[in-house]
Amino acid sequence: MLVEFGLIEEAQKGDASAFNQIVSAYRRRILGTISRIISRPEDVEDVAQEVFVRLYFSLEQLRTPEVFEPWLYRLTVNACYDYLRKSKRKPEFRMSDLSEQQVMMADAAAGSRFEGDESEKRRNREMVAELLGAVSEEDRILLTLKEVEGLSLKDLEKIYDVNENALKVRLFRARQRVLKKHEEQLRRSGELKDRKTVTGAPGTSAKTSEAKG
Amino acid sequence: MSDLQRLAGGIMMKFSNSMQPDDSSDDRLVKLFRAYRAAMPDPEPGANFTPGVWARIEQRRASSNWFGRFAKGLAAAAVAAYVILAMMAASPQDPVFLNGTYVDALVTDHNSKLEPYHLDRVAQISTDLDSEHQSLEIE
Repeated sequence: MLVEFGLIEEAQKGDASAFNQIVSAYRRRILGTISRIISRPEDVEDVAQEVFVRLYFSLEQLRTPEVFEPWLYRLTVNACYDYLRKSKRKPEFRMSDLSEQQVMMADAAAGSRFEGDESEKRRNREMVAELLGAVSEEDRILLTLKEVEGLSLKDLEKIYDVNENALKVRLFRARQRVLKKHEEQLRRSGELKDRKTVTGAPGTSAKTSEAKG
Repeated sequence: MSDLQRLAGGIMMKFSNSMQPDDSSDDRLVKLFRAYRAAMPDPEPGANFTPGVWARIEQRRASSNWFGRFAKGLAAAAVAAYVILAMMAASPQDPVFLNGTYVDALVTDHNSKLEPYHLDRVAQISTDLDSEHQSLEIE
């Protein structure tokens, strides 16, 4: 727990400064979780603020301060669901949507800014974002909480209000779906490498030399 | 332990064994997610984060107050309409229906249905016809 139980009780009684302290203690963690669930960095703060507004209006319903953290995560998950449902209407921009030439240009542009490690991190981010973007909202959020945020099954039980076995089954299925996507991803990147090798040979196509230029 | 319990245990064991994914691919995925976590540190909140939260809280409070006032007004209007309708329903009707016997009520109802053929109206019509007949005869 990042705050003491007494502070939560004070906030429940309507103490604004206690609520401010709770916001200060948890905002970074909540922002981090949301940023790893939704793919638009410009909307992360907006969703996080919505989480704390919901927290403020429902704080009095919290029966025991012991379950505060899972409960805050539940609010976060619900806010993310709402956001993802709304944003379904908006087309999402991903690296995987770009053509090969655009990816190479983006890589070249990014390469000048990020060197070595940074570039590796960026590739990993894009890879996982693509994987999580290819599965359902439910799978994405569940896997992010378990695998990325590192929450235990016990925590997830409290957040989702389901028993451990049901949760294991859901996790297994979600993992299988992501693995399938990952295999596809690896196959595709293998194909892309092969294509680059072929086009990199003497007598390359106009498209490739244009991209290089 | 009954046979049924043993059977259920066996099924559960088979199911949990079949749920064990391929170790290498699972490890690969776990590593990928760990690397992702390391590559995505928690972002720093903006300076206006907490004031923004309070602004939203105030905004929501104001809109819920407006809704509350609207709901109260609507409830008051509904009560007023109910009282008016109740008063209209309670206003005195024809005393025959309220105080007379069942037969009296039937008679009153029957008479009101015969209204167009009432005797004094028939007498009036016949007088008119007679005067018309006389005038024709004079011609």
